[in-house]
Amino acid sequence: MPGTPYPKEQMHRIAYTKLSERQIADKLSTVARSGPTSASPLADVFAGKTIRIVTDKGPALAYTFSRTNRLSVAENGGGAVEAGYGALTLNSVAFFSHMIPGTQRGYAAVIDQDTNLATVFELWFSGYQDNREVQREIYYGYIEQPGQQPATARHVTTNRVEGKGFYWKQDTGAETLEFFPSAAYSNFVELSRLGGELGFCAPSDYIKINTDLYIYTRTECEFSGTFTAYVMDLNRVEQIGVRLGFDANDSLEYYLFRGRGEWLGQLAQFEKFGDESGAPVPAAAAGQTPAKGARRVYRPLLTMPKMTRAEVDAVCAKKTTAFAPSTGPGALMGGNRGPNTDWLAGKTLTLRYDNAPAMEYRFDDADNLNWRQEGDTNWTKARYQAWESAPGVILFGHLLEGTPNHDGHSVVADFHQGLVTCFNAYLNTPYFANEAGVRILFGVIEMDGLIPPKYNRHHVTDEMVGRAVSQNYAPGLTSMHLYTTPHSLSWIIFTDADAGGLEWSGPAAYVKIRDSLYFMYWLEEACNGTLGTILVNLHTMRDVGVGYNCGANGLNMSAVGAHERLAGQFDITRFYQAKTSGGVA
Amino acid sequence: MTKDASSTRRSFLKGGALLAAPLAAVGVPAVLIADDELKARLARLENEGAVRELHQAWLRRVYTQTRDTASLFTDPKAGPFDPSVRSIGADHAGRPDVIEVAADGKSATGRFYCVVKIENAIAQDCTLARMAHAQGGGFVRRTEHRVLNAEYVKTSGGWAIAKVEFASEQPESGIS
Repeated sequence: MPGTPYPKEQMHRIAYTKLSERQIADKLSTVARSGPTSASPLADVFAGKTIRIVTDKGPALAYTFSRTNRLSVAENGGGAVEAGYGALTLNSVAFFSHMIPGTQRGYAAVIDQDTNLATVFELWFSGYQDNREVQREIYYGYIEQPGQQPATARHVTTNRVEGKGFYWKQDTGAETLEFFPSAAYSNFVELSRLGGELGFCAPSDYIKINTDLYIYTRTECEFSGTFTAYVMDLNRVEQIGVRLGFDANDSLEYYLFRGRGEWLGQLAQFEKFGDESGAPVPAAAAGQTPAKGARRVYRPLLTMPKMTRAEVDAVCAKKTTAFAPSTGPGALMGGNRGPNTDWLAGKTLTLRYDNAPAMEYRFDDADNLNWRQEGDTNWTKARYQAWESAPGVILFGHLLEGTPNHDGHSVVADFHQGLVTCFNAYLNTPYFANEAGVRILFGVIEMDGLIPPKYNRHHVTDEMVGRAVSQNYAPGLTSMHLYTTPHSLSWIIFTDADAGGLEWSGPAAYVKIRDSLYFMYWLEEACNGTLGTILVNLHTMRDVGVGYNCGANGLNMSAVGAHERLAGQFDITRFYQAKTSGGVA
Repeated sequence: MTKDASSTRRSFLKGGALLAAPLAAVGVPAVLIADDELKARLARLENEGAVRELHQAWLRRVYTQTRDTASLFTDPKAGPFDPSVRSIGADHAGRPDVIEVAADGKSATGRFYCVVKIENAIAQDCTLARMAHAQGGGFVRRTEHRVLNAEYVKTSGGWAIAKVEFASEQPESGIS
């Protein structure tokens, strides 16, 4: 029976082993002596040579390379240590990596042979509470040239990679889509390893070698902790790099790779013209000196409140809020939602879903409705809010108090077409009971004077996939969505300088309501459990929607609304389409 | 007694120059100024200068966000200022600063047209806001033109601030 490309658990659901320092040291001991593996032939660029790398605020590293995979290194004039290494070259750049035997440390170095400038990454395990998460410190320097003045230029952090996206295929066979919508984070889709269902995010470094060549890193924090670094040629779309870490089975991955790819597009940048600075997120708070390797890392699972079903039931019974006044929780996310509509006030209708019980409604006014499932005799009152995003298209949301899983409905009803789509939110989900789940309900509207279609329905679409859209919810509250796969999106938070900063992602879906009108949701899974739903209108460049969240403060449904800007689009939908293979053509 | 701050500064410089100049070089007009009047004027100018220096010291502490302003006040409890204010600078489009020293030289008031930079933290009640704070941001910043009113008292240790607050009225333009 043929297998599928999908993992048993997606990355954000894997309970990665908390490896001990001893376990890590044992696993490193062999590769420290043998060096990284490589599917491509190792370069002999260093074989037989001796070099000394001098860095500005870091170590001086004296290397003697005896062969293509053996070196000795002396740190800061200390005793030399023998280790295995591997090197690859890309145009003028030589890249090599090695570990230090007997330690959990190692290095990856990038040397531009044209300029003799060097960037050194010191890498180590057991530097964070999760030992398996690779730590890195970056040092900038040069290769010492006897009799010559030291080079004064340096490789520098940059935002010049921000907005780019690439497809990569490594010599290992691994295929990825990698997006750089931030100057501090990145987004990657594992096409071959995980089947490309979801995109994930990681803190990243971007360093300029020259106008063609850049260094990129990512550390898969909150996941396996694996570190990836590579040099990429933006014109030739080639890469050389290293991957170091422990996979989901705790097997050590330490290999060099070479890859070729495809440029997928360029998103807009929002920094002021002329601002090419990198590292927009300071490693430490103002006035504080960052510790070695420090960086700002978004750790949503670590900080997420995790509740049991009993706790969820208790907190929902204690406090359930729908569309609290403008100062309530999450109110800022609705800052630009615009005025709500009373279009539904006084109307009676039934939303007949294909895959769920029909919902009957009586709308008292612009804020209050009565609902019941078809067949029930009793009506339940609920507070709701509605917005008319486009003529005849009403989005409204309400909670279904009394349902076992504390359901909420975010509904888009198109009264010109007689069609309805509902994102049915619910709690008591398998991983954390306060984490929202969602079902998509398609159906039709039944009401006096309206004849709905028999077969036509709203449908899931990939038309938004690859797009990036910024959202300004309120002063100081701006983010950007990047629709990375048909089943996930990421959100990027802008810094004060409007550079892309922290980024995270979650499962998502997109439903086409009309041309340029898309109803979408995203789940902040292993994050804080929120379900976000918005109706994006690409004509008015405005979205409205509702958020659904359960936490220590109870269950809350709140308004969402933002002014949007298009930020570009990657050409990626073709990577997600099922392809016919074998059989009769 | 009301003094326009800019004209006060010019008068002070003129007076200082007179005092510093050798008598022979000053000539007859200088010696015609009554000694008592000169002393009173000098005292007033010194008080105004001291109040101005005190105001500047307060502004620096607000700007540097040390917020260690208690020692500048008669009542240390009155020291803390609106924590959302990040800096207060001169409003060059506003009216000139005014410092009035009471006739007895024991109290003074100040009125300063200023540009105020205000920063308010966004409530961390959604993912976006939490992430903004996590990266060192999460603030809404704005700049306002305001009028600052201050009251000063001369103590045995020198001048101290008795009260400082923003005026409720909108500032008028000083440019005609």
